[in-house]
Amino acid sequence: MRPFALPIAAAALLGAPAALAEEWPSGPLTMKIGFEAGGSTDIQGRVLANVFEEHFGVPVNVVNEPGAASAVALTSLKNTEDDGHTFLYGPQIGLTFSPIVSDVEYDIDDFRYPALVALGQNAIVTSAEQPFSTMEELLDYGQDNPLTYAQQSPIDQQIIETVAGEAGLDLAIVPTGGGGGMAPLVLGEEVDFAFSGGTHAQYTPTGEMEILAFLGTERSPFYPDVPTLIEEGFDLAMEDYRALVLPGDVSDEVVARFEEAARVATEHEEFRSTVEDDTFLPVEFFGTADSEEMVRDIRAGNEDLMAGAD
Amino acid sequence: MIGASIQEALTLNALIGIGGGVFMGYVIGVIPGLSRSVAIAIAIPLTFYMSPLVAISFLIGLSKGTAAGSAVSAILLNAPGEASSAATALDGYPLAKSGKPKTALQVGLVASVAGDILATIILIFVAIPFARVALMFGPYEMAAILAFALVFIAGLSGGNIFKGLAAGAFGIFLGTIGLDAQTGLPRLTFGYTQLMDGVPLIAVAIGTLALSEMFVQSEKLRFQRETMAVKLEHRADDHITFPILRRIIPTILRGTGIGTFVGALPGLGPSVGSWMSYGVAQKWSKTPENFGKGEPQGIAASESADNAVIPAALIPLFGLGIPGNVSAALLIGAFAIHGITVGPLLLRDEPELLYSIFAGMVVASIFMLILGWFGLMVFAQITRVPPHVVIPIVIFFCLGGILLQGYGTFGLVILMGFALLGYLMKKYDYSFVTFLVAFIITPMLELNLRQSIILSRGEWSILLDRPIAIFFIACTIVALVMLGQRTLRGSREVEAVAQT
Repeated sequence: MRPFALPIAAAALLGAPAALAEEWPSGPLTMKIGFEAGGSTDIQGRVLANVFEEHFGVPVNVVNEPGAASAVALTSLKNTEDDGHTFLYGPQIGLTFSPIVSDVEYDIDDFRYPALVALGQNAIVTSAEQPFSTMEELLDYGQDNPLTYAQQSPIDQQIIETVAGEAGLDLAIVPTGGGGGMAPLVLGEEVDFAFSGGTHAQYTPTGEMEILAFLGTERSPFYPDVPTLIEEGFDLAMEDYRALVLPGDVSDEVVARFEEAARVATEHEEFRSTVEDDTFLPVEFFGTADSEEMVRDIRAGNEDLMAGAD
Repeated sequence: MIGASIQEALTLNALIGIGGGVFMGYVIGVIPGLSRSVAIAIAIPLTFYMSPLVAISFLIGLSKGTAAGSAVSAILLNAPGEASSAATALDGYPLAKSGKPKTALQVGLVASVAGDILATIILIFVAIPFARVALMFGPYEMAAILAFALVFIAGLSGGNIFKGLAAGAFGIFLGTIGLDAQTGLPRLTFGYTQLMDGVPLIAVAIGTLALSEMFVQSEKLRFQRETMAVKLEHRADDHITFPILRRIIPTILRGTGIGTFVGALPGLGPSVGSWMSYGVAQKWSKTPENFGKGEPQGIAASESADNAVIPAALIPLFGLGIPGNVSAALLIGAFAIHGITVGPLLLRDEPELLYSIFAGMVVASIFMLILGWFGLMVFAQITRVPPHVVIPIVIFFCLGGILLQGYGTFGLVILMGFALLGYLMKKYDYSFVTFLVAFIITPMLELNLRQSIILSRGEWSILLDRPIAIFFIACTIVALVMLGQRTLRGSREVEAVAQT
């Protein structure tokens, strides 16, 4: 076997670029997901993989590489060189925030961003039992009462600290570790208000939770009556999109192919219903030009925000 | 709604999952040396692509199956599949040798299934009101209860509380590795991105529970001669009879009560339950001298308590989100993988899921009875599978499970490290149970403690409004002092209480 193996491998290596130029994809694709199987990103990613399979006509294997808000998966993606046969799907916090505070082995320019497919739903929420139900009422109430806030990341903590500083609140901030930990604190009125990345979708229909403000630049299509924090007079936002990410050395043609596939997916019934009905995120398509810019804008905004932190 | 939830547990998918879990559990339980937590640890990766209901029912069916299966090897081989069935062997093996192996197996099976179903019913009636009360628990109460559970487990699962606390402290230390919950800054990760979410639980669990156990078993293999299993033959007089059944019913009821009580307390595992139940049955018996010579009541006492512990351990799990033993702790991990936070909110927000799980548990008991009754002959054959065949298969599952989870080579290195650690802990009698439970609940404990301190703004007086928290803080101190004194006196009463 051995004498034959080498020439064949060499031929495969030499032949590969030529084949790529003619036809992409030349084999199965791999979708990396930076979270464990069964979570909301995983649920969305697997449906997206189905749509891509249909679109590209090759199998799309989903691989979970959980850890540190996708930082583990991004690290391995950066070191993948197979001309776009491996890509990542998920939220961008590992790119727009993690490199600011942690010593990760990649940065924002190591990747390409062919498209964004869904909007995050970051919000400030409170219990319906509290004596305030709008941002204004909360700030009034806070003039005479010490307040407590439950955070989920240093970014939202920084936003609320800025608000508290401007409005003159006496505020204590506790960590929650996630939406599952936030809900009992808010509903049990252990804290006055809290950050929610989407958990509120479970509790607003029952009337137990109220949304004080959204942290995006635009109102949520699911709650058109709730203003954004910017509308409330604070020039602060915490935006988050579900993005496709490719290694930085991928050719423009391949990026364009992914952009097209993402556009098809956002119009695909199965993908829309899974993302909107099961994971409560509005589906919206942004192409390559927009997403490359938005990722860097959000990153710059977070850097400014964190520069204000002590 | 409850009707629909029960239907949910009766769909073909769910039935295959539950039945498969019970069957796999039975097989693993029958094999000497493979315990319940080994089974759960290596099975969690298999559940990734099941729905949450099927996955959880599969795992609970699995633990029930191991409890029933371990009785088979205890009775036929005099080598219990796990520690909790050791008491079963005391009477089961003599009865089997006296020519009635089938009677012994059937008594064990009936007791297992009865204990199981009764305890599941108790779980349903206790967990639901308990979860309602627990909804009022805030971070102060949770922090106090977690601290209490930790001390209790450290003191009871090893015998020596200082070794227990040392193992627990090491678990806490490992539990602090990863990103800080508030600042998002890495702690003790030494630049490894993979450690940012903490040391991966599945790797730690499979390493300390399953793989290290294979090391222990291989070592035993070198020194031990193989024992021969009692052969099952068809004999007209060898089956459970109505008089036997009538005699063991009170024993089963008592055993279930003891098993449920023990299971609901954190730190006490199935082996405490079965030994305690065996002791009580002997004390209450009119003919205590028959115990140890093939008394069916002895088998019934041990097996009913052993199985009752499993549903009962879910009471603190569904009520508070606190694991009472290692199997329950692994279930938390399994729930988390399926995106479900266990605790009082589960009953409030997803009652359908919870009711379906309860229904699934009853279905699992019925499967257990059917499989056990008609499969006795087949399972008896499994006791003859030699360890040198079993061990490599289990090691394969351990390694495969880690790769399936997506941790790659890094996960394998962690796995090996913890397998070695688990082996040393078993060898030098440090409670790996305390270690693992401490490791799993540390993030929860840290978060609640931190929330309490921040929300109180440093005022101790806030505790005066929190009687439940004060009660558990007092309990923690009392437990620490009493268990410490007991260890210092060198009392060895609870030595045998090695928990699974």
